[in-house]
Amino acid sequence: MADFLTAYSIQNWLESCPQGYLMGTVYGHRPEDEEPAPLLENEVLREEAIRTTVQLVVGERCALAASSGLINAAPDEASKRFLATQTLDEARHVEIFTQRLLDLGVPKKDLESTIQHFANPNLVKFAEVLLEKVDKKDFVAGVVGQNIVLEGMAFSVFEMLHAVSEPTNPKFARMLSGTIADERRHVGFGENRIGSLIKQYPERKADVEKLQKEMSYWMLATFADAFRNNPARAEFKRIEGELSRAGVHAEWQGVDLLTKDPEEMEQILADTVLKEFKTRLSRIGIEYQTPDRP
Amino acid sequence: MTDPLQQESTTAKDLELESRPRQRFELEDTGFDEVPPRFRKFYRRWRGPGDQLAPNEVICPVCKVVIRSTRELRPGDRVYCMPCMSRLIVVRGEDGRLEARVAY
Repeated sequence: MADFLTAYSIQNWLESCPQGYLMGTVYGHRPEDEEPAPLLENEVLREEAIRTTVQLVVGERCALAASSGLINAAPDEASKRFLATQTLDEARHVEIFTQRLLDLGVPKKDLESTIQHFANPNLVKFAEVLLEKVDKKDFVAGVVGQNIVLEGMAFSVFEMLHAVSEPTNPKFARMLSGTIADERRHVGFGENRIGSLIKQYPERKADVEKLQKEMSYWMLATFADAFRNNPARAEFKRIEGELSRAGVHAEWQGVDLLTKDPEEMEQILADTVLKEFKTRLSRIGIEYQTPDRP
Repeated sequence: MTDPLQQESTTAKDLELESRPRQRFELEDTGFDEVPPRFRKFYRRWRGPGDQLAPNEVICPVCKVVIRSTRELRPGDRVYCMPCMSRLIVVRGEDGRLEARVAY
């Protein structure tokens, strides 16, 4: 077994995560933090926050199903233990983002119907492509799909949401920063484990490249729906203008997101994620496949 | 394991550098809380494209955290990124700055 696998221990996870950055948090945030009143009182913004949070729940439910499903397909004990910790991380993410839906005023009895109503069909397709590999117990494709493509996307999306939330919604920003910390371990496992496995099984490259291309397409289609066809864009523009005039900035990737149109934000996010995919995949010896643009 | 610098380069890849002793650095906690407390001073969050790295710092290409050592880093050094558990080798990038490559 490669030496790097020894770091994937439950003890390591306990010290870093529950005994570390999650210490004292309640559903991922400080106990005293609440959703800001201007968000809860503005029906357009509240519905948009629900829509965004539903996509996070859908993505995290997929990650939970994938990481738990991959445990029995893992070829070594250390990977099984790491994926067990990742399973708990993903279950926590599902729980905290579901709790946020309740905090935003979704009645408990309407939770599932709200998730179904707002879930982006392209994100659902993205999840189906990945879970098909997991169901077949295809560890190499499953880890690339889960820990490099899905987690790589989540990493950038969470960072972008964090940049916007930090000056406006400390509760959501804190939830996201804990999630980003978890994602660092997940992308690290994906790169390091597949980096060594792909050397052992070079014949798997073509299949993995096809998976990346397909998942990337559904990801871009999800971004397009979220930014281009967003029903709250006029209200967003008004709020962003107010925040900018008040001297509030949301810096990410060297730009102030509050000064950007939705199409520009989509472009920045898509370019960032695809560039990261390309860099990560080339590091582990997989050739990045440019997806079709929706 | 304490300092992320696990193994210093022993090959003289940069003769000018190798001829002088490595600088030492006092590290302070930067508020990075993603690793157990005893390791926190060895890491900090990257502040984006304008963030200047000190001679004892290198960015982890996997998770984008800045890794900090008590000693100056040089090409060929082996460092460890605890937040994402990656083993890295320090190299000199095309722009002359230090970068880290993942050792799979």
